[in-house]
Amino acid sequence: MKHLTNWGSEAGKHIVLILGALVVILPFYLMLSFSLKSPSEIQSISGGFFGAQEMMTDHRCLKAGRSNEECTMLPIVYNYKAAFKEAPLLRYLLNGVIVTLSIFAIQVLIALPCAYALAKLKFWGRDVVFGLVIFCLLIPVHAIALPLYLMLAKFGLTNTFAALVIPWTISVFGIFLMRQFFKTVPDDLINAARMDGMSEFSIVWKVMLPTAIPALLAFAIFSVVAHWNDYYWPRVVITGDQDLMTPPLGLRMFKSDMDGNEYGPMMAAATVIVAPLVVAFLLAQRRFIEGITLTGMK
Amino acid sequence: MSDIKLKGISKFFDNNEVIKSLDLSIANGEFITVVGPSGCGKSTLLRIIAGLESQSSGDVIIDGREVNKVRASERDLAMVFQSYALYPHLSVQQNLMVPLKLRRLSSLERLPLLNWFLPKRRSKMIGLNEKVLQAAETLQITHLMERKPGQLSGGQQQRVAVGRAMVREPVAFLMDEPLSNLDAALRVHMRAEISELHRKLKTTFIYVTHDQAEALTMSDRMAVMMDGEVLQHDTPSEIYNNPVNLKVAEFIGSPKINVLPAESDSKGKITCMGLPISMSLQTQKQGNIMLGFRPEHTELISSDSKTCFEGKITYKENLGSDIYLHVNLKDGQHKMIVRSEPEKAIDAKIDDIVKIGWMADKVMAFEENGQSLPTESKS
Amino acid sequence: MGHSRSHFWFVSPAVILMFVILILPVFVAATFSFTDYNLGSSDFRWIGWKNYESLGKFSSYKKMFTASLTYVVIVVPISVLLGLGSAMLISSLRFGGEFYKAIFFLPVMATLLAMAYAWEFALDPVMGVINKFLDDGCSVGWFYKLITGTWLGFNPTESWYGELCSDRMPNWLGNRKYALGSISFIGIWQAFGFNMVLYLAGLTSVPRDLYAAAEMDGANSTWEKFKLVTWPMLGPTHVFVVTITSIRSFQVFDTVEALTRGGPSKSTYVMVYAMFEKGVKQNLVGMGSTLTIVFLGFVLILTLTQVYFINRKVHYS
Repeated sequence: MKHLTNWGSEAGKHIVLILGALVVILPFYLMLSFSLKSPSEIQSISGGFFGAQEMMTDHRCLKAGRSNEECTMLPIVYNYKAAFKEAPLLRYLLNGVIVTLSIFAIQVLIALPCAYALAKLKFWGRDVVFGLVIFCLLIPVHAIALPLYLMLAKFGLTNTFAALVIPWTISVFGIFLMRQFFKTVPDDLINAARMDGMSEFSIVWKVMLPTAIPALLAFAIFSVVAHWNDYYWPRVVITGDQDLMTPPLGLRMFKSDMDGNEYGPMMAAATVIVAPLVVAFLLAQRRFIEGITLTGMK
Repeated sequence: MSDIKLKGISKFFDNNEVIKSLDLSIANGEFITVVGPSGCGKSTLLRIIAGLESQSSGDVIIDGREVNKVRASERDLAMVFQSYALYPHLSVQQNLMVPLKLRRLSSLERLPLLNWFLPKRRSKMIGLNEKVLQAAETLQITHLMERKPGQLSGGQQQRVAVGRAMVREPVAFLMDEPLSNLDAALRVHMRAEISELHRKLKTTFIYVTHDQAEALTMSDRMAVMMDGEVLQHDTPSEIYNNPVNLKVAEFIGSPKINVLPAESDSKGKITCMGLPISMSLQTQKQGNIMLGFRPEHTELISSDSKTCFEGKITYKENLGSDIYLHVNLKDGQHKMIVRSEPEKAIDAKIDDIVKIGWMADKVMAFEENGQSLPTESKS
Repeated sequence: MGHSRSHFWFVSPAVILMFVILILPVFVAATFSFTDYNLGSSDFRWIGWKNYESLGKFSSYKKMFTASLTYVVIVVPISVLLGLGSAMLISSLRFGGEFYKAIFFLPVMATLLAMAYAWEFALDPVMGVINKFLDDGCSVGWFYKLITGTWLGFNPTESWYGELCSDRMPNWLGNRKYALGSISFIGIWQAFGFNMVLYLAGLTSVPRDLYAAAEMDGANSTWEKFKLVTWPMLGPTHVFVVTITSIRSFQVFDTVEALTRGGPSKSTYVMVYAMFEKGVKQNLVGMGSTLTIVFLGFVLILTLTQVYFINRKVHYS
């Protein structure tokens, strides 16, 4: 229906949306802004977005007996330096990367062959297995956290890298998603590969995987975002070993370690943790939105 | 009297001129078909009349009143869509009620369950229900009233769509290829039903289709549209017998008209592929022209007459009631399709040599650019 | 076919993991819910239904149910409606849609814990921008009158905002009256972008012709077309969005653990936090397991309700 654009109502829509956008952006703005400001500016909510960027003196550093020169610096430098020093922020980030990538890699290793078998191979019990997958989709992750923690504790596996990764290795969602996708691959493609003498194993990785790149990409995004941001499970299972903390957990640790009012460094740390995904999102919006909304398409 | 006039309608999509300065007059109560190949702009034209699209320039005039600025819901026109566009979540009965409720009841009255408080609503609703029932009876869908569109067949959905248009008793019905999604047999049946409906209601029907058979059988008048222009606007028989140019002649009539090159001398005598044609042009014109022979105006000749085309059969279509022979003419360059009685051509085989004659008074002449040339037949 | 028994090797790891990681724990939790097992002590007793009974007896559990259910009841409708509203606004824009879409989707992507801390600062009673904004607003004539309802005839000094202006702006996260509301607000902030994207997808699948038919039938205004076409055709999307949002709302944890730790006075003592506190922090595995099973029950009910609705009412065939 083509009516002439009603500029009045168009403007009205934009006003409403902009107001909403302001509310949505507020915490991001604050986070970034505080990471650039000196403590006094933070306390008094002054200085605009960037802060005055006047040289500030780090009192704690002075107390620790260092010279005035060493302890005077720009707020932004102070905040980010403190963030990386006070907490092993780099370590946390590294942990985050290793954990999310390991989880995804193992998920693919387990899910892809299973999805292929469910989609393309006929065997006794296939429907039972698929029914099992559907059943497991109903189980929310928070419901199994406590018992899993118990089981891991019994084996002395809490506070380990394995503990962070193992519960996520089975992604029924991934199996379901890839199966749906694999079903659309023409049988002839697979039969041709078989005639060429390919083993079923090779078929999974050399034939099915390349065709599934779009779905895999969406799944990757979904998995990486979910596990980078995951706070609950690491909180349950990592109780002492700071070296193993994932970014959110590390941030939490940082906050409770910090005395008093080190808001600047806190927000600097928060910015560093949130930034990678946000930047990646802004660069590849469509893919991200696809990936995240796939959660729902159960 | 509610007639509809289009004056100078043109429409651009980006820089594409989809409709080119079109004029059309539609009389009150007539059944007019706008027919043309896909992409010629006919659906767009219909939507412009409806008000769902706005024209780039020109006027739509309904009943002497210019309605360019009037929105679709207020033009008192009803439309039947190719996809039927029935509300999937409502039953047939509710679908039929929608246009009545939206127009005859105020927004307060439209809230459900208020019969108690608004006695006027009660009587209004009874009146509306009667109208719906009437329409359903006319279309023979009373037994389907409680079903949802998803539970109906294509033909039944189509009737409900027509019913939804009917209940409003609009000034004109606009139909956008309503039969395209039905199978062939049902289509023929529905053609008759729609014509019957038109006779009963006596309302203007503006019918858009790409099927020239529908246009020929159903319309009072047809507008043949190609590339955004109306080429000819006349009764079906006029368009069939006297197409205004070659494009119209080729579009109307199935199978397609045979076109052969010919020459006309200064006296207007015509020769085609070396054969004299007993027909001359009304206006003297010397030069190359084209002649059109409709397959149904040709026949196989067995005699040794000299004035006939000769050629070899390449394909034979036996439709039971007619046989169509595809013939490659002797000169090796041109082809013809010839219609023959089943008895005559029953033994014809591929690669047979045949002689083709034609009905002298049915030959059509065209200039090289396609314009038709008036002729007189001599015989 | 005649291929190898490769399917066995393909499927077994997944099946084994499904049992060990997903199914077994449920039974473990069910079993322990009938005990008073304490992680750290070496023995435990069967106590039957006692744990379940204490759910009804102790006020802290009553507050838990209240907090969880209140949170869900606040967050779900508002984030669903915001999601729908923003989707409709954005899809009807001539330009700029992608921009707003990206902004509204950001909260879904950003690490909730980090953003929760940012909100904590914003909501800080002394240093937070929100209170500063509200405070400044007390002296801005039109704003003050708007929020206190003076224009509607109410007495400003008796209104909520008026009292705050004369006294002090609230301690959002530290005040029992406002804590759950604040947590809910953050939850809505985080969730509605997700719903928006789902509704955007739903809106594009509404057949265009239906709007044309509605117009021809006399549906003049956006509101009429919304009632007749948009809302009904979004049926499947509605069920879906509401269920997903509800399940995720039941699972709220990050904001509570980071900002209020269940308080003040257990006003934000949501179910998953209780599970965590009892089972992990206090090592009361028995009780924690009981809470786990109850939680599982709620989620199952929600999911199965969705399946029921999808199969019955919403697909029109």
